[in-house]
Amino acid sequence: MKVSLFITCLGDAIYPRVGEAMVRVLSQYGVSLEFPRLQTCCGQPAFNSGYWQEARASAKTILDAFEDSDFVISPSGSCTGMIHHYPKLFESDPFQLARAERLRDKSYEFTQFLVNVLGVTDVGARFPHKVTYHPSCHGTRLLGVKHEPMTLMSNVRDLEFVPLPFAEDCCGFGGTFAVKMADISGAMVTEKVDHVKETEAEVLVGLDMACLMNIAGNLRYRGEQVRVMHLAEVLAEGAGLA
Amino acid sequence: MSANKGKSSVKERAELALNDEFLVKAVKFTTERLRNGKKNASAEHGNWDEWRERGRQIRLHTIAHLDYYLNLFVDNARANGVHVHFADKGEDAVAIAMEIAQRKAAKTVVKSKSMVSEELHLNHALEQIGVEAIETDLGEYIIQLAGEMPSHIVIPAIHKNRYQIADLLSEVAGERLEADTTVLAGFVRKKLREKFLEADIGMTGCNFAIAETGSMVLFENEGNARMVTTVPKTQITLMGMERIIPSFEDLEVMATLLPRSATGQKLTMYMSAITGPKRTADADGPEEMHIIIVDNGRSLQLGDPEFQELLNCIRCGACLNACPVYRHIGGHAYGSTYSGPIGAVLTPALNKNVAEWDDIANASSLCGACYEACPVKIPLHDMLIYLRRRKVETGNGKAVETAGMKGFAALTGSSAAMKAALAIGKIGQRLVVRGGEIRTKLGPLKGWNSYRVTPSLPRRSFRDRWEKLDREIDAKRPPMAPDMKRRMERIVQEREQGGGGHGGH
Amino acid sequence: MADIKRQAVGESIGEGKTAAGAAQAGLAGADAEHAAWLAEMERASRAKQESFMNGISARLRHPRMTTNPQQPARGAPDFWRTFDWTPEERIERFEANWRSVGGHTARVRDLDEAGRFIAERAQELSARIIVRQDQDELAALGLETSVPEAEVSVWNSEADVSWKARAAEADIGVVLADQALAYTGTVVVRSAPGKGRSVSLLPTVLFILVPAERLGTRLGEALIPMDEGGREALPAGVHFITGPSRSSDIENDLTIGVHGPGVVYALIIG
Repeated sequence: MKVSLFITCLGDAIYPRVGEAMVRVLSQYGVSLEFPRLQTCCGQPAFNSGYWQEARASAKTILDAFEDSDFVISPSGSCTGMIHHYPKLFESDPFQLARAERLRDKSYEFTQFLVNVLGVTDVGARFPHKVTYHPSCHGTRLLGVKHEPMTLMSNVRDLEFVPLPFAEDCCGFGGTFAVKMADISGAMVTEKVDHVKETEAEVLVGLDMACLMNIAGNLRYRGEQVRVMHLAEVLAEGAGLA
Repeated sequence: MSANKGKSSVKERAELALNDEFLVKAVKFTTERLRNGKKNASAEHGNWDEWRERGRQIRLHTIAHLDYYLNLFVDNARANGVHVHFADKGEDAVAIAMEIAQRKAAKTVVKSKSMVSEELHLNHALEQIGVEAIETDLGEYIIQLAGEMPSHIVIPAIHKNRYQIADLLSEVAGERLEADTTVLAGFVRKKLREKFLEADIGMTGCNFAIAETGSMVLFENEGNARMVTTVPKTQITLMGMERIIPSFEDLEVMATLLPRSATGQKLTMYMSAITGPKRTADADGPEEMHIIIVDNGRSLQLGDPEFQELLNCIRCGACLNACPVYRHIGGHAYGSTYSGPIGAVLTPALNKNVAEWDDIANASSLCGACYEACPVKIPLHDMLIYLRRRKVETGNGKAVETAGMKGFAALTGSSAAMKAALAIGKIGQRLVVRGGEIRTKLGPLKGWNSYRVTPSLPRRSFRDRWEKLDREIDAKRPPMAPDMKRRMERIVQEREQGGGGHGGH
Repeated sequence: MADIKRQAVGESIGEGKTAAGAAQAGLAGADAEHAAWLAEMERASRAKQESFMNGISARLRHPRMTTNPQQPARGAPDFWRTFDWTPEERIERFEANWRSVGGHTARVRDLDEAGRFIAERAQELSARIIVRQDQDELAALGLETSVPEAEVSVWNSEADVSWKARAAEADIGVVLADQALAYTGTVVVRSAPGKGRSVSLLPTVLFILVPAERLGTRLGEALIPMDEGGREALPAGVHFITGPSRSSDIENDLTIGVHGPGVVYALIIG
């Protein structure tokens, strides 16, 4: 059984601690992850901007990297969601299409794998903090990851959960959108942070580092001290694995 | 037409909108009210996704056989005594409507809300031949007085406050009207009542057309559409060619989806099924009834697998209310009749000018809230990407971006190249990192850092750390529980037997 | 064949006194010219219809469809079709829905009591003009005698009256529901020579009598029979009324009675 880690660009370059936390949590259950070094970016920036030729170049690298894997686990609903677009990307290339469909069927976002495959709902963590949660759009809407993180958090001891008002609203990241439409994106993230502040939470938790980087960026810009964490980090820290 | 119209790009128009505090607040307040109304109404009704799927199926089927159903509708409408006309282009529809008005020597036309008529800019054309065209929906009447376009499909005057409205109406009244909703609405009731009674022609849109009976169906709350179809002697209905559903039985599904999605109502105050002109012995209703069936770019979507579902739209506005971009910039920033996510896709699709309108397609974070809100499940977020792709494929991409994306492909096509780039980044960032953060507003980070700080790259990437981590973990990893192992094996097995995916859209 | 049909239709759409009469006497100049123009438009439209439909078929990449394609899904989901409330529940829910949108309801035993209820309100409102549909049940209300201060008009009961204007100046309109539906709180009224569309629309205050036995649960109970009866059985207007006229177009502030009646009573009988 080959279980592979799809770390994603942000997970590799900027937030290595998230991948590390994920590896430690899964390892608790005897999951031996392997890390194909061939992997790069899923191609989403190019795909979403309409540059499909360029996106195919990235996608092929990912298809190669995970060719032999049985399960591909990623700390991002958005990048896993991009893999769900691969069949469309290769719709006129039967060879790559077959590979794309195989990869799609074996790709999981971290909590999907933990809860739905391993059947783990309680990692035995304790996290005595006031926490709020931002459900990222692609994870919830494209992949349907909704109950998994809630279940995991509800079983963390001493975690005080405060619902985020308008939680399902996009944080305004949207990849190149944040650069191309900087003012609209800025207004969106400002509103998101206003809502985070309303909760008076100490920690903002999410499942996608791109969105969290965006929200954290605005929090820091405004001098707010809210900690921003991936759920894997909360679980690892809470279970004393960090 | 609006204050925003002169600005060339959605970015500039959005900037104006974002700086209009009242607008931002009004749009947010309204969309929140409608969005919550929809959420509560759909939850209270229950089984919402099954109803959505049903709505989608009915619309998909009708559009896939539109030649049959539209033809059936036309034959039945004729048998009901309706004069049916066809317009390939907007101008054709305008010409037909003007000819009818001239033949009838009409002085006044009263109109109930119709997005098609907005699309055709019909009022302007009628005015040029000396026919007064009066919008009678309260919100439409207000923006007509202001000389603006609707900024929302359902609430056209969402961007106007009551003081601005009082100013507009006071001018019509010739006296100062108090900025009080009841006073203002009362004035409009009285004023328009006179107009309904003296108008020569009533003009409407059409929410649904029933193929099997040739009936047209209108949803509304104010009663003005009923006025327009009851009082004047001549009725003209403008209808997008895709408004068809097969039967009244199917209307039950649309009537369940449309009001709940639009405003959270169980049903609009009035739903009227109109089947032909008045019967000989009736004492009200139009003596002569015309239906103008409008293509105006709609047929371009037929047979296009990526965009045909656009024709399923029932114009509820739920995607506008759900859209975080719309909520921040309002309808006018989209620069066309149809705004919000549906407008961002529909406008270029109807006009077939992808290149010009691509900047609207860019005004989306692709969050998918529109798809989730859509009562007939139109994948608008996917369509926005297809639009962007078509622009690139037709060679209309921006030079800087194209070069950038080529570079992206070169990097991400090879892990070695990406690793090298990261290394350069780590050296480069030394110039700008302060306390683990980057705050410079120069160069490519200008837009981003106007609202945020950027994290710096850590000394060692995940791939640099992997070997050590792997060794450390390997040493203390327990064996996997047998039931977990079995479950994983079963999943792999099922997948190989063609079980396919595990959810996701 | 088509021409004969059209002629027949053309007659039925004119006003009774003009179209039929004028056709015999030879149409007056303007009318004849207009009829000729309509006929010309009709010819052009029929020719255009073919190319329009063929264009759609070509786009859809299939030969022109002339037989009924089987609908994979028609109407509401199956689970919905068996959904039903008890008669008492229907009344409760109907009333609750009707009130929740700003309408008024009352339950009365019979037409006598309904008549007294309306008469009382008419006196309170100092109604001067009342218009009612021309139906036996509404005649039985006895408004003509119980509200002597008001002029009670019966829709379309005499020639040479401008009935639309009469309804527009009326303080009160009185109609009888053909059907009502509890789930949405909706009343259905069908137009007929003695049942004007204006009566439920133009007066300031509207009374709708709803016989309890006509109160169903779901919208489909009124819609499906419209298919079953077929095109020819449909009146010019079937109106589904779910409360008073309303708008939120000014700053989201709810206003009642924008164009249609602002005060709407549903009187449930039985």
